[in-house]
This record gives sequence, C-alpha cells and structure tokens, in this order.
Amino acid sequence: MASHIIARYRFHLRQRPAILVGLTVVAIAFFLAVTGLSRAHQAQRQALGNRWFSRGVADLNAQRFEAAVTDFRAALLYSPDEYSYQLNLAEALIGQGHRAQAWAYLMNLRDREPDDGLVSLELARIAVQRGETDDAVRYYHNAVYAAWPPQQEVKRRDARLELIELLLRNGAKAQAQGELIALAESLGPDPIQQERIGELFLRAGDYQHALGAFSDVLKADPHNAAALAGAGYAALELRRLPIAQQYLRAAVAANANDAASEERLRTTQLVMNLDPFRRQIPVNERNKIVVQAFQTAGERLRSCKMPAVTAASAGARPTLKDAWARLKPQITEQGLRRNPDLMETAMDLVFRIERDTSAVCGSPTGTDLALLLIANMHEGT
Amino acid sequence: MQPESNDGKELGESAHARSASAWIQEHSPRVIWRSVFREDRLFLVLSVFIGVFSGLSVVCFRFAIDWSRLYLLGTGVVLTPVRMLLAPTLAGLVIAFLVIHFFPAARGSGVNQTKAALYIFNGNIPFRTAIGKFVTAALAIGSGHSLGPEDPSLQIGACIASALGRQMRLHRDHMRLIAPIGAAAGLAAAFNAPISAVLFVIEEVIGRWTAGILGSVVLSAVSSVVVMRWFLGSESLFRIPAVELKRPTELIAYATLGIIGGLASVVFSSGVAWLRPTCKSLPRWTQYLQPAIAGLLIGVIAVLGMPQVMGAGYEYIDQAMHGQFTWEFLAILAGLKILATLLSFVSGTPGGMFAPTLFIGAMLGAAVGGAQHVLLPHLTGSAGTYALVGMGVLFAGFLRAPMTSVFMVLEVSGNYSIIVPVLVANTFAYLISRGLQPVAIFDLLTRQDGLELPSLEEQREEEILRVEDAMQPAHDAVLDADETLDDAVKMLDHTEIDQVLVRLRPGGWGSVSKGQLLTMAGEGKGGAALGTLLSITPVPFLHPDHPLETALRYVDRWPVVPVVNRADFRKLEGVVTQRHVLERYREFGEG
Repeated sequence: MASHIIARYRFHLRQRPAILVGLTVVAIAFFLAVTGLSRAHQAQRQALGNRWFSRGVADLNAQRFEAAVTDFRAALLYSPDEYSYQLNLAEALIGQGHRAQAWAYLMNLRDREPDDGLVSLELARIAVQRGETDDAVRYYHNAVYAAWPPQQEVKRRDARLELIELLLRNGAKAQAQGELIALAESLGPDPIQQERIGELFLRAGDYQHALGAFSDVLKADPHNAAALAGAGYAALELRRLPIAQQYLRAAVAANANDAASEERLRTTQLVMNLDPFRRQIPVNERNKIVVQAFQTAGERLRSCKMPAVTAASAGARPTLKDAWARLKPQITEQGLRRNPDLMETAMDLVFRIERDTSAVCGSPTGTDLALLLIANMHEGT
Repeated sequence: MQPESNDGKELGESAHARSASAWIQEHSPRVIWRSVFREDRLFLVLSVFIGVFSGLSVVCFRFAIDWSRLYLLGTGVVLTPVRMLLAPTLAGLVIAFLVIHFFPAARGSGVNQTKAALYIFNGNIPFRTAIGKFVTAALAIGSGHSLGPEDPSLQIGACIASALGRQMRLHRDHMRLIAPIGAAAGLAAAFNAPISAVLFVIEEVIGRWTAGILGSVVLSAVSSVVVMRWFLGSESLFRIPAVELKRPTELIAYATLGIIGGLASVVFSSGVAWLRPTCKSLPRWTQYLQPAIAGLLIGVIAVLGMPQVMGAGYEYIDQAMHGQFTWEFLAILAGLKILATLLSFVSGTPGGMFAPTLFIGAMLGAAVGGAQHVLLPHLTGSAGTYALVGMGVLFAGFLRAPMTSVFMVLEVSGNYSIIVPVLVANTFAYLISRGLQPVAIFDLLTRQDGLELPSLEEQREEEILRVEDAMQPAHDAVLDADETLDDAVKMLDHTEIDQVLVRLRPGGWGSVSKGQLLTMAGEGKGGAALGTLLSITPVPFLHPDHPLETALRYVDRWPVVPVVNRADFRKLEGVVTQRHVLERYREFGEG
C-alpha cells in the first residue's frame, strides 16, 4: 500500500519544492536529535566536572595543593567557564606556590566579575608577595568595596584589616590611620574588635583614637588587662599622665606579668615626679628635682659617647660636656635658691642632653626616659 | 478616415489584450513558482541547509571525540600509562581495519579529497566517506593520535553538501561548486571562525577567487557557525590573553619568531614529504599496523612525560598562552608535537592538520617569546601574544595559507592591535617556507596521490600573458567616420593594406575592406561619409591589460582587433591579429 502511494507520488516527491520541504523536516528532526544528544553530553560533563570539583575541594581543604590543582584542572576540562572551578584552581595554585598561574586565572575572573571581593583579595595577596605594593593597595581597596555574599561586612572588615597591616608594615601610617578611622566607624561595640582596632591605632601612632577604642572596651569589660595596658600607653603618649598612671596601675594589677605596662607605669610616675615645671610645687622640692635632673643628664652624657665636634662648630657653640661642666658648680639647691633663673638654664641643658644622646645612643630608659618625655611635653614635640 | 480610425482602435485594443495576456502569463503562479525555484536562487537556499546540516554534524562529531576520549583515555587530566599506551595503539588497529575495508576515502586530512571532488569528480563525494571520516577520526583523535577535528569536519561538510546537491539534481556547474560550500560550513563550525573558514576554502580548496559562489560559501559558513554556537556556545577554543604592542622595536622579536616558525614549517613539511611516500610504499599488510605503531610511539612519548602531544591539545594551547610552561619545555613540546603529528598523519590515520599546526605554532611562539624575555627582559609582549602570533606563523609557513593565517589570528583573538606583529611574522615564515619548500603541503599531498589539482599559490605567482604582449603598433590606415569615401580611397591608394579600421562615433570601432571601398566608390557613392555606409561592420575592441585569452575570442572572427586606451576609446594603442597572438603563445610555451 505504502509503496503504491510512493510510486503514485514519486514524480511530485522528486520536485524541488517537495525536496526542500523534506529537507526542512529532516533538519528539524536532526536538530531535535542533536538537542537530545547535547543535553546528555552536557549532563555527563557537568557530572564529571562536579565530581572532580568535589575531590578538589576536599584536597584543598586538606592542603594537598598538587592534587587539588589536578582535580580542578580536570573539572575545568568539563566546564571551562565555571567560575567556582577557576577560583578554586587559583587558590590551589596559590597554595602550591604557582602565583603567576594563579594570577592569570584571577585576572580572567576579575574581567568576568570585577565586583568579586575574593578575587580582588587574592590578587592583592599575590601583589603583596610580588612586592607590588601599589597594586596590592588597589586590589585591597577593590576587595573592601566589593560584593561579599553572604557575610559581606565581616569579609570587608577582614580585607581592610589586611590592608591596614600592609600599610603599617610599609610605614604608611597616615594612610593606615585613614583606613582605621573608616574601619572603626563600620564596627559595632564588639570589645574584641575594638581592642584590635585600638592596638592598630597605637601602631599607627593615632593615640587619641586608640585611647577611645580602649575606653570603649573598658566600658564593657573594666578589667580587660590588654585594654587597660593599651589605654595606659595611649594616655602616656598623649601626656595625660594621671589617666595613664591610673590605667597602667590597673593593667599591672590585672596582669602581673605585663612588664611593659610596669615599665610605663614607672616612667609615668617618674615623669610626674621629675617635672620641675608642674604647678603647686614647693621651691625646695623643685630645686631638688632640678639638681637631680642635672645629675642624671650628666651621667647620661658620660655614658653616651658623643661624636667629636669639629673646630668650626665648636667655635660657634660650646659642647654639651663643656656646657654641663661650666654650669655644674652653680646647680645646687643653694645656687638655685639664690638665682631662680638658673632653673630654666639648667633644664634647657638637661633637655638638650637627653634629646641629643637619645638621637646618638638610642632610646633611654628610667629617669632619662622620663626627662626626655618631660622635654617633649614642654617643648611641644 | 473613420474606418481607419476604427481599425486603429481595434488594433490598439488587440495590442492591449496581447500585453495583458503577456502580463498574466508572466505572473501566472506556474511562472512565479518556477522563478522562485530557479536553480541559482535554490542554490542559496540550499547553502543555508548545507550550513545547518554541517553545523549539526560537526556538533555530533565533537561529542563523538569527547566520548571517545572519555572512554579510551579516562576522565582526568593525569592519564595512566597503560591507557596512554593502549588506547592509541588499539584504536590504530581498529582504524586501519575500517579504513582499508570500509572507508578508504576517509584516509588523511580531507582537504585534498574535497578539492578533488571539485576538480575531478564533478562535486561528487560518496556519503559513506562522511560516515567513515566521522567514525575513524573521532576514534583517532579521542584515543590520543596527534590530529585535529577541523579538516575532517571540512570533509564531512563537503560530503553532506554533495549528498544534498545530488538529491536536488543540481546542474553540473552548481554540483561542482557544492563541495567547497559544505567544506566552508564544516570548517567554520569546527573552528568557530567563519571568516577564516571562507578564506581557507577559497585559498586551498577552490584555489581561485570567484564571485560566483562567494555568497553561498558565506551563507553556509555563517549558518553552520550559528548552529554550532547554539549547542556549544560562542567561547573560543582557548582563552585569549590581553594583546598589545607597546614598542615598535618589538617587531624584531616577532620577525625572529617568523624566521624560526618558517624553518619549523619546512622541517614539518619535509617530514611529511619524505615519510608519507615511504610509509605508502611499504607492503600492504603493514598498513594494518601503521596507525597502531604510530599510536604506540605517541603513547611512549606521552608516558615519557609529554602527554600534551596527545589529541588536538587545545587545553594545552590555552595553558601555553597563559604562561604556564617554561620556554624550554615549550620548545621541546613543539618538537615532539611535530614528530607525533608526522607519525599519525603519515600512517594514514584519518584526522586533520589544523589543530596540530596551531598547537606547534602556539608552543613555538610562546617558547620564542619566553626565551626572548630571558635574553631581553625589557620586551613587553606576553607569552600569550607570542603564542597567538606563532599560530599564525605556522599556518602561513606550513599550510601556506597566508591570507587565512592573518585573518585566523584576528578572528580568534578579536584584537586588531595584533595585526602588525602577525603580518611581520607571517611574511617571514611564508617567504622562508616558500623558498625552502617550493611545493605547498596540500599540493605535495595531491601529487603524492597521483593527482594534479590547481593551486592558488601557483596561480598567484604564474606569469600571465596580456593583450599588450601580443599587440602590434597601429598602422597609419585608420579612418574616421566623418571622412568621405573618396578621401578614404585616395588615402588607401598607395598602400597594400586590405582591411581598414574605422573610428566610429561616439566611441565604437568598425572595419571595412579596401575592395569594398573601391566597389562603393565605383557605384558613385564617393561623396558619402564613411559612417553612413552599411558595409562597415562594428568590431569589438580590447584594452592592453586584458588577458591574452580574451583576445582569442575575437581574433578568429575579425582579422584585426583594435586595442584602445581605457580612458579614451577613440585612442588606438595598437592592434592584435590571430597570427600575433598565436606567435606570442608559442614563444611563451618555448620558454
């Protein structure tokens, strides 16, 4: 029957329009068949990619970087554009120490997703290792302002903390202070975070903000030894001596092993006791302090070998030793009582000696340090 | 007057009726139907179908290669030694059996077979060849033979086109051209680069620039790429790195790459030229073993630490482009890939030369780039840039398709700033290859197979005879149409010339014999202007730059053919005669 029909219509079937219609039907059928094949092919590749990716993640977590790299490369064979595969491969490559390859993958990812925080952070870390600080800072900034789902704030804070550490390591204290202020504004009252911020402010030389951060910590936990020590240190640097003394005393009480705070407390007390310019001090005591300071400065001058002074400069101004020796006979309690103006002259020389010797022989300790701090306090430095 | 008027009206009505019936006839459904399905229009529609079918077939071919690789070599990146040795060897045995007993036309790359279909077999390629090529090439490439999928895709496309043309019972002229249309579609889909595919088919398959089928070739290539991208996406086969040329002095580095690439191309093509006939001349029984031995040797290379030589190797091109190998490793890899590809190809294993050529070029380019960075650290070109340029270099040097090589790199990279390095490097590579290996690789393969097919490269460099080569100075006896017959007779009185050229108005030329002029003068027409005489026959004219072949069309019918200036058709540059044309051809043939 079918053959009869075909024979009857053979002539028409051989006509070009009929062939074109036939071709269209065949093309549609072929297309559908290839669609089916394509889905099967894709499903298989996806499954293989996922399998290798899972292995890679396990290896990466176990820090088996070489195996992880192989696994992720295999996963990428099946899904070459899969973002997470490339990102994990880059991390495994970083772990393996192949930073250049990782960089290439990360740059590719960054082109695709410029707003990905993790990619920027990894690029920043590689740039740090390469010593490309400017690039590192740029990528850290990208990471700080990038999208970080799902823990955006935490990740941004961590990225900024890394950036601050980098800036502090490179001595860019002003930039670090700026980042720290921005970071402090975004932080909540979490004492642990505030304490860390306070420490970073201390390292950045921003004692005012450091004191504020430690004070916040102490509001929540008044016996926090680290915060007490930090607050004491910041207050001492700010020359708020009574506050410093109070915090440092509490810090030492809270942690008897805190030698640094103990030393600072001692210095604070010395500064408070050895300052002849403080108010409401009896004349006799002031004179005693000046004589003691003068003696201390003389000993410091003897123990620190100052460089030889050239004739020309010597002609212009007497050396510290000469000046000290010339003034010494007059600096007694009686001498000071007779001539109160000598106090200014004596203390000027003391401050000069402490400053010059600290420049040549390094930072002093004990009474010398106290005198140096007093010098700085009264001369605005 | 009235009857006349009536007659006139009737005549007018009848004329109207005739024109109306002519209009109806011209616009009848049957005529429109025939016009729509006129063969030249049908040919364009068919090109789209060819593109669609080729695209779908190439997608299936890619799947087949993938599955073949998965099941034969495994799913991971690191292959086991057993698989590396056994897969290509056993696949080689199966392939040899299939090729010898079932699909003999599937052997080799497929480019020459398509060209032979165009020039020898009137566009006919058995569909069986497509099936054979599909199966054997998928098996070969998937099992790790160092071959690529592009040339087989080209041949599969040509087979599909040929089958469709046969089905449509196309005219012989169209049938001849249908294979290249399919070839372009297959190649475009395989390489995801329609422009390069069209150019390659014109350069290597058709062998000449012809506007006749350009539209069809482009249509089929574009439709196949659209279909392929529908299924496989539009991503390139490898990630393209950022490309830039910062300093013009770096062109010296690219020129060096061109020189090294040219020499590598010569080594590669000389290897094919020497090994292929040697393998073919071995006893017939060895042909069962040749693909297997080639596969085993490739497996050994892989086991010894270079698994990158197996298969098409696009993933390794990607890695080389992104600086993941040292330059020493890349150089060794390029050398071993040449060896592996030679083994696979000369053993008669079906598969293409495109991918290996690109692989070798990329490795060589990245190696040269890496070495130059060591020697000259101030160079700024990345490994990826050198690898991209290297691909073009091998294409120009080995496949000897200079136009395709340039456009291929541009199309793949999508960056036109690379054009200057590519042009510089490709020119060096092409000139070195052309100088040291006079016969291009595809022509060499054709001749080894005992065929003689036209080559665009040879045509490009062939000396062409032009009309000016056979042109003789015009004699004085050129008359103007305004002159009277008496003046003309007087002028010709003292000459021996028999045939005279007449400059007609406004721009044509005519010819008249001296005898005719004398006869007309004897009839008393001496005062008439020459231009009014009916016995002056128009003569076609030529221009000096016309090919001499063009003159052959006229010189046997007109004893003297004028050669005129292109800017002023009345200005005679010379004349050609049959005798002078034939003499020029004889001289050319003698030497």
